[in-house]
Amino acid sequence: MTMLFYDKLTVLKGVDKKIKKLTPVNDERQELWQMVEEIIHHKVLGCCLTHLPNEHHHEFLEMFHARPHDIKLLEYLDTKSKKNMKKIIKEEIKNLTKDLLLLDSHKV
Amino acid sequence: MYDFRTKLKLKSIEAQSDFKKNFPEAHQFLLGKGLELKNLRQYSAKLISAGAITGSLLLTSPVNINQLPAPIEINNKNLIPQENFINILQKLLPSEVRPLARDEEKRLEVIISDILKIKSKATLEGEHLNTVYGYIGAEQHLKRYPGDVLENHGPYYKEGIAPGLGAWGYFAKSKTDLTSTLEETEKWYSVVQTLYLPDWNSRQPYLRDWYKHRKLLIVNTINGNAIVTALADSGPAAWTGKHFGGSPEVMEYLGGARYKKGAVLVFFVDDPENKIKLGPVVYNDLSGKDLLKI
Repeated sequence: MTMLFYDKLTVLKGVDKKIKKLTPVNDERQELWQMVEEIIHHKVLGCCLTHLPNEHHHEFLEMFHARPHDIKLLEYLDTKSKKNMKKIIKEEIKNLTKDLLLLDSHKV
Repeated sequence: MYDFRTKLKLKSIEAQSDFKKNFPEAHQFLLGKGLELKNLRQYSAKLISAGAITGSLLLTSPVNINQLPAPIEINNKNLIPQENFINILQKLLPSEVRPLARDEEKRLEVIISDILKIKSKATLEGEHLNTVYGYIGAEQHLKRYPGDVLENHGPYYKEGIAPGLGAWGYFAKSKTDLTSTLEETEKWYSVVQTLYLPDWNSRQPYLRDWYKHRKLLIVNTINGNAIVTALADSGPAAWTGKHFGGSPEVMEYLGGARYKKGAVLVFFVDDPENKIKLGPVVYNDLSGKDLLKI
C-alpha cells in the first residue's frame, strides 16, 4: 500500500533538482511541487480512463474515491482494460518528465 | 524562475482542462464527492489515518498482521543487540516499503524501547506522520544564520549547502546567537513531508510550532543504525520517490559516505523533559567495540 495507488510509478527524475536550482525560497519551491503534483494526478487519472472501457468508468471512480491508496486498483485496471497499465502509466510519466525538464528552454 | 513557474502553471491548467474536456462525467463525479485532485494526497492520508479503510489495509498488506509473533517472542537476548534488532526488523516489517498499520507500529515501538532504550511513538500527542516506514534521501546543509557558508559545516562538504532556508528559517538571528544546541540541531537535522499532512493548512500555527525541531528517531532498517534527529525542513516532494530527508551527518551515520537513499523507520521521540541528545544511538553493549559493520 502507498498513499496513492500509482505512487511507485510516478517518480519524476531530475525535476526536483531543477526546481531546487530555480528557487531557494521554501514556499515557492513547495508551490512548484504542488503544481507538478496536480499535473501528475490529472495525467494519470486521464491515462487510466483513456484505457479503461467506458462501462467501467463509474465503478473505477467509486473504488478510487473509497480507496485511492489501494494497489489493487492497478489489477482492476489491467483486468478490465486488458493492458499493462503499470507500463502505460510509467510511459506517461516518462513523457511528462521530459516535458517538464524542457519547460523553460526556448524550444518549448 | 518566473518563466518556469508561468509555464508550469499553464501546463497545470492545461492538464486540468484536458481532464475536464475528455472526462466530463469523471470530473463531475469527483466534484460531487467534494474531491479536488489537487488535494488528493491529503485526502488519501486522511482516509488512511482515520482508519476508515482498515479492511482494505489488511487486504493489501503482504503479511497477515494477526499472525505476526509478539515482539517479546522474537527478541533473542543472546545475540548482539544490533544483530537481534536487525533480525526482528526483518520479521516485523513487510517486504515492500509502505505505511504501516497501527498494530505494526505498536510492535515496533516496543522493540525500539526494549533494544535501543529510546521511548518513541508513531503517534505523539495526537500527531502522526503520513507514514513511518519510507525512503530517506540525502539533503544539503542548511544555513544556520545570515551569512553562514558551507566552509563552516565541515567535515562533510560534498553535499553542499542549500541556497535557501529550511521550512523554519534560520536557526539563529546571527552567528553570535548560534548556541551549541542550535548547532547540533542543524548537524542532526531531518526532513519529513509535513506539507502532505491532511490537516497541515487547517491547524496553523499550532502544527508549525509543534513540528519545529521535533525530535525524530530514524532507523536504517537494513543495518539497524539509529539516530535521533531534529526536524528542520519540509519535503521531499512526493514524486521524488522519497518520504524523508537527512542532513549529510545523518546520512553518513545511517549508511556511510555513499548512502543516498534507503528504507528507514521514523518515529517521534517521546522526550518531554528534553533529556535525549541528538545524534547516533549507540546501543551495543560491547565495551571497546563499535557498531557492527553490516
